[in-house]
Amino acid sequence: MNAKPMIEIKNIYKHFGPVRALDGVSLKVYPGRVMVIIGPSGSGKSTLLRCMNHMEVENKGEVWVEGELLNGTQKNLNRIRSEIGMVFQLFNLYPHLTVLENITLAQRIVKKVSKKEAIENAMHQLQRVGIAEKADVHPQKLSGGQQQRVAIARALAMKPKIMLFDEPTSALDPEMIKEVLDVMLLLAKEGITMVVVTHEMGFARAAADEVIFMDEGLIVEHGTPEQLFDHPIHPRTKQFLSQILAH
Amino acid sequence: MIEETSPALRDRVQISMDKKSLRQKLKDFPWWFVALLMIIFSSYVLIAINPKYKDAFLFIRIGLSTTITTTLSAFFIALIIGLITGLGRISQSVFFRNLATLYVEFIRGVPMLVLIFFIAFAGVPGVVDGLNVIGHWLQSIGVNFLAAPLITLENKNIDMTVRAVIALSVTYGAFLAEIFRAGIQSIGYGQMEAARSQGMSFWQAMYYIILPQAIRNVLPALGNDFVAMLKDTSLVSVLAVRDITQVARLYAGRSFRYEETYTTLVIMYLSMTVILSLLVKYLERRYHRSER
Repeated sequence: MNAKPMIEIKNIYKHFGPVRALDGVSLKVYPGRVMVIIGPSGSGKSTLLRCMNHMEVENKGEVWVEGELLNGTQKNLNRIRSEIGMVFQLFNLYPHLTVLENITLAQRIVKKVSKKEAIENAMHQLQRVGIAEKADVHPQKLSGGQQQRVAIARALAMKPKIMLFDEPTSALDPEMIKEVLDVMLLLAKEGITMVVVTHEMGFARAAADEVIFMDEGLIVEHGTPEQLFDHPIHPRTKQFLSQILAH
Repeated sequence: MIEETSPALRDRVQISMDKKSLRQKLKDFPWWFVALLMIIFSSYVLIAINPKYKDAFLFIRIGLSTTITTTLSAFFIALIIGLITGLGRISQSVFFRNLATLYVEFIRGVPMLVLIFFIAFAGVPGVVDGLNVIGHWLQSIGVNFLAAPLITLENKNIDMTVRAVIALSVTYGAFLAEIFRAGIQSIGYGQMEAARSQGMSFWQAMYYIILPQAIRNVLPALGNDFVAMLKDTSLVSVLAVRDITQVARLYAGRSFRYEETYTTLVIMYLSMTVILSLLVKYLERRYHRSER
């Protein structure tokens, strides 16, 4: 792995009041690779993901994106964020805009793309997630799975260098999880750099290049899906996997 | 986010409403509203056929344009003050947050009538004196083009109608600020996060994402305050501004027809507020529907 890391996290700490969410975490995400972060709730995995585009700002340590330090100035932050796509657990689509407008707005006002180009790009992204026929409806009319696919299209439309997924299927009804995971698998195969926080072990096995197991604000174990799922070393990892896979 | 009711459930509710018995329908019918309309209608009949009422109406009508323009201009300015103050109330900046809260709490702690006296006879003159001082200071350092208009400003040149508008907008600005604040806070934080994650600045997110949703949510409340302000313009009659209340007082004092005058005045306010309330309800329903 000679390539430069897309995101490099250097020994970050984050606490919410007395709760220590991250307790000294270092990590490198390389271009073209898919990293899946697993762990029990409260282990700090979402916080780690949210530190990567400073939705959460670390108390100590450094976050580097493509060789640039996130330094707390708004200009630096807004530009870097526009190159990092983020997908949320609760979709967070803009309910007052149509699906198409949801996808074109940030292209227009952040990247200053022309209207025509923004719409073309938006339609292309909607086709990619298989939902182009819904371009003119409002998001509330869509099912959860469809909304999440629109949210993915919205993030992709910014032509991001990396995509962050924060438990993208946790708020979905079981029958809708697959359609979202299928889209994510497709993106993984296309070679898009991804960091995914999820409880979907099947997805992790199928798509991940690396899996990280976190517990109590620390990276406990880090390896390929085969290593981590089939031959976990750390007792805490073994315990977590047995609990998850038991049901 | 508003939870979408399933179509099936909505149909079932619809059917159960259709099945409502005649008896229940009669019980739920807004009889009060019919009565209200009848009161207004019969009063206008009275005004049309009784010369005493007609005279009162024709005289009071002179004040109508003042009442309406005062309401519109004061509400417009109050919207701007309210929006800025509402944003200040939730600002990250300790200074702006406290400044906005100080203003809101100050206004809320004083009766409106007293505030109108205070702003018209102490607030405005105080500001004018202050501007005069700044004007003289600017003159002394040689910035004459700015100094001239500030020095020539005189209290006696500021019309009472202007003071009334200032007083009403400063007062209502504080009320509207609370509405805007609540509206902005009603929008889930996820919306701001999604917008910021796409690289929008805080103000872009506010303008394109948060405010359009917030304002839609508070439209009914703004409408109610507009109706309330229409009524509260009657208070500016204490500044001798010739709104319908002031004109009615003049007429009653001159003609000694107190009954006719004040009955007519009540009906005039009532018909305006009823029409506006209906308009607010209609808009509310329309926005509610378009959201689905």
